[in-house]
Amino acid sequence: MHQQALCALLETTINKVLALNVDDLGALLPLEQKTLTVQLAELAFPLSFSVDQQQILVTSLTERSDCQLTSSIASLIALQKEQQITELIKQDKLELSGDIKVAQQFSALFENLAIDWQSELAVHIGDIPTYKLSQFSLWLGDKVKFATKQISADASEWLVHEKRLVVTRSQINSFNRQVTTIDDEVQSLQARVERLADKLSATAKSPTSQI
Amino acid sequence: MSSPEQPSLSNQQSADSEKTTHFGYQTVDKGDKESKVAGVFHSVAAQYDVMNDLMSFGIHRLWKRFTIDASGVRPGNKVLDLAGGTGDLTAKFSKLVGREGKVILADINSSMLNVGRDKLRDKGLVQNIEYVQANAQYLPFEDNTFDVITIAFGLRNVTDKDMALRSMYRVLKPGGRLLVLEFSKPEHDIINKVYDFYSFNILPKIGDIVAKDGESYQYLAESIRMHPDQETLKGMMDDAGFEQTSYKNLTDGVVALHKGYKF
Repeated sequence: MHQQALCALLETTINKVLALNVDDLGALLPLEQKTLTVQLAELAFPLSFSVDQQQILVTSLTERSDCQLTSSIASLIALQKEQQITELIKQDKLELSGDIKVAQQFSALFENLAIDWQSELAVHIGDIPTYKLSQFSLWLGDKVKFATKQISADASEWLVHEKRLVVTRSQINSFNRQVTTIDDEVQSLQARVERLADKLSATAKSPTSQI
Repeated sequence: MSSPEQPSLSNQQSADSEKTTHFGYQTVDKGDKESKVAGVFHSVAAQYDVMNDLMSFGIHRLWKRFTIDASGVRPGNKVLDLAGGTGDLTAKFSKLVGREGKVILADINSSMLNVGRDKLRDKGLVQNIEYVQANAQYLPFEDNTFDVITIAFGLRNVTDKDMALRSMYRVLKPGGRLLVLEFSKPEHDIINKVYDFYSFNILPKIGDIVAKDGESYQYLAESIRMHPDQETLKGMMDDAGFEQTSYKNLTDGVVALHKGYKF
């Protein structure tokens, strides 16, 4: 019954998220009575998403599918961008059968989600705590970004200069240039050797050498 | 383990004679069972959903989802949700069969039907659902009417189960399927013992506190023990004419989903 538990969890989460969509002006209307069946490489069972009366129903039924999509979770994340569909099909990361428009509409639905998290949070904890929390998260975000940049720079410095475990890009480029020069010289030497070998074999075949 | 003594097999068989049947562990006249069961459900109807969640820790929702997934229902299908009670299955089926389809929520008990109707209307589910008060033994529908028939936690309360199964077979379309979701016999002895303790000691107390009716939940526990086990029910479905009958144990067999086709 794991699949039923997953379906129930997905159904509740998706409908809750869709209910928070501030741009929801009948976002589900074009998909009314349509079903998209997704077969993920990571799951042993299909997931069918059916739209009825502005709600999404998640089941493992495959009988009523308008479009079947076979893919993996990673490809599905890439599918958030609608224009990625063709590219993923070309790369054999996505198989589609049925009405492709249904898959595109589902993809567009999640791409166009606009949720005002601050308003939603304010309903539960109040305006001032929400403001404080959002300021704190912005400050924390900046700090994390700065720390990540700093740690990355320090680590690079330590690995390249202190421990000499990694070489710099300019060193790699210089090494590549040297390899190319040697390659050229080896090629010209090889050509010279071949020319000398030809000359030697020609001398060996001449009449004077037979006497 | 303080579970009331279950009647022996021979007693059960004698209870299901021409004139008598069982009501929990009691042997009663066939004519009396219907009214006794009706009394139980009139009493618990208002608290039915809350009690289901409490008693099963919410797992009944997954059992019902499993039934939906096994139904193979398509848009445009006609579905009979027999003993449909408060309409959990009907609500899902209504969305899956779409505007072209139809779901009939049937129950012998008017209180349960009223609770179900109110609940579904509050959810905005009105366009493709009909409500019928009907006895499963004498279904008031034409032959070959439904694509799918479900009976969830209802068959054990029916007075003559064989007759009800034959009636379901009659109204099912050729190619249609019957799904019987019902309490059954746990596969492992240890689960059986824990389940017995829970059913006879804890469940009636919950019923007493929440629904103010411990006796009805004592009946529930007894009726589950008196219900045919997995293989017996499968045999009964075969006898009624169903083909390719099979069952799937859920939660170690505490509940089983039986499936049969009419060809």
